[in-house]
Amino acid sequence: MNCLDYRRSLAAGEAETADMKAHRLQCAACAALWREHAEFERELYTGLAVEVPAGFEHRMKSAVVFSRRRFLAAAGVAAAAAGIGAYAWVTRDEPLALACIEFVMKEEAKSIMMGAMPRAEAETALAGTLPLSRIERVGQVKHIGPCPFDGATAYHVVLAVPQGKVTLLVMPEGRLSASQKAEHDGLYASVVALRKGSLGVIGTDRAVVTSVAGALGA
Amino acid sequence: MRFDDLVRQHAADLYRYAFWLARDRSRPEDIVQEALLRGWRAYPRLRAQAAAKSWLFSIAHNEYLRAAKADAHWPEDQEVEIADERQTELGLEMREALMALPASYAEPLALQVLGGFSCAEIAAMLGTTEGATMTRLTRARQALRRLIAPVKERRGGRA
Repeated sequence: MNCLDYRRSLAAGEAETADMKAHRLQCAACAALWREHAEFERELYTGLAVEVPAGFEHRMKSAVVFSRRRFLAAAGVAAAAAGIGAYAWVTRDEPLALACIEFVMKEEAKSIMMGAMPRAEAETALAGTLPLSRIERVGQVKHIGPCPFDGATAYHVVLAVPQGKVTLLVMPEGRLSASQKAEHDGLYASVVALRKGSLGVIGTDRAVVTSVAGALGA
Repeated sequence: MRFDDLVRQHAADLYRYAFWLARDRSRPEDIVQEALLRGWRAYPRLRAQAAAKSWLFSIAHNEYLRAAKADAHWPEDQEVEIADERQTELGLEMREALMALPASYAEPLALQVLGGFSCAEIAAMLGTTEGATMTRLTRARQALRRLIAPVKERRGGRA
């Protein structure tokens, strides 16, 4: 490393590497520059480290805990009414499955009103995640369209199976390490990993949801 | 790592980062809270646990953009002119100098100094190149040095 390289890295604030240190230890001019830079960086940190309001961290933790409890408490009440077996199905902390249920409760109707996407477009969009032909082996597609979900684009599918209708949320981005389940307000959700991405299955019958998730999951 | 532990470790720096995005005391708490709630929902799908910190900061960045877009009264993430040292008071401190920096300089600086991210990580988070990030960081420091130079000179003169 030469003086120019050293000074360029220092000017951009990069952490000192072993190469940089070796150069500094044998170059008095760069060593002097490093001392001045270190003092500047201390001032810079002090300037950037604005005071965090009292109780901020506690409020943030509470917000997350409250959100989690809000879902789980509601799910617990419904599950208790359905019996111990159902309760065991929902007692794990599985936020993505709960988010799928929330989508059906709050967003599904709006998503359908936005209109379906053309079949050719749907085939292309789902090809790498969950091919449309594979979905159609399980049931009849009544609606398919893109929708915002969990900070990314998902594909919302309404699927008619012999036992009734289920909603699918095909999520091409991200992949679960373990499947998730949830129950809330009479709806059941199961989220399973696909070869690429994840799939949420939501419906009113736990056995149907489990069966569809099993048939379409990786 | 549990999500609660992530919150405990990074909440304060996320607040500071959000402050430098919004430049306003009233906004950062809302930005961070929304970011954490989104993060909590998506956390089970995060495969690279080692990247959890940069992932959280990226969510905060997106949440700021979303909130700014939703509220027309928020300042856009726009370039602002760097104040000339002749226009600033002699009593300018580092924080005032930082407030005078354009957002495009202050944001990578906050990520680097507060978050401890490398130029490569910052480039990935902001969707730019490592070279462009280094340039911004260098120019940000040059601008700050210019802005606080009068203060330093005065202090040197008094010593």
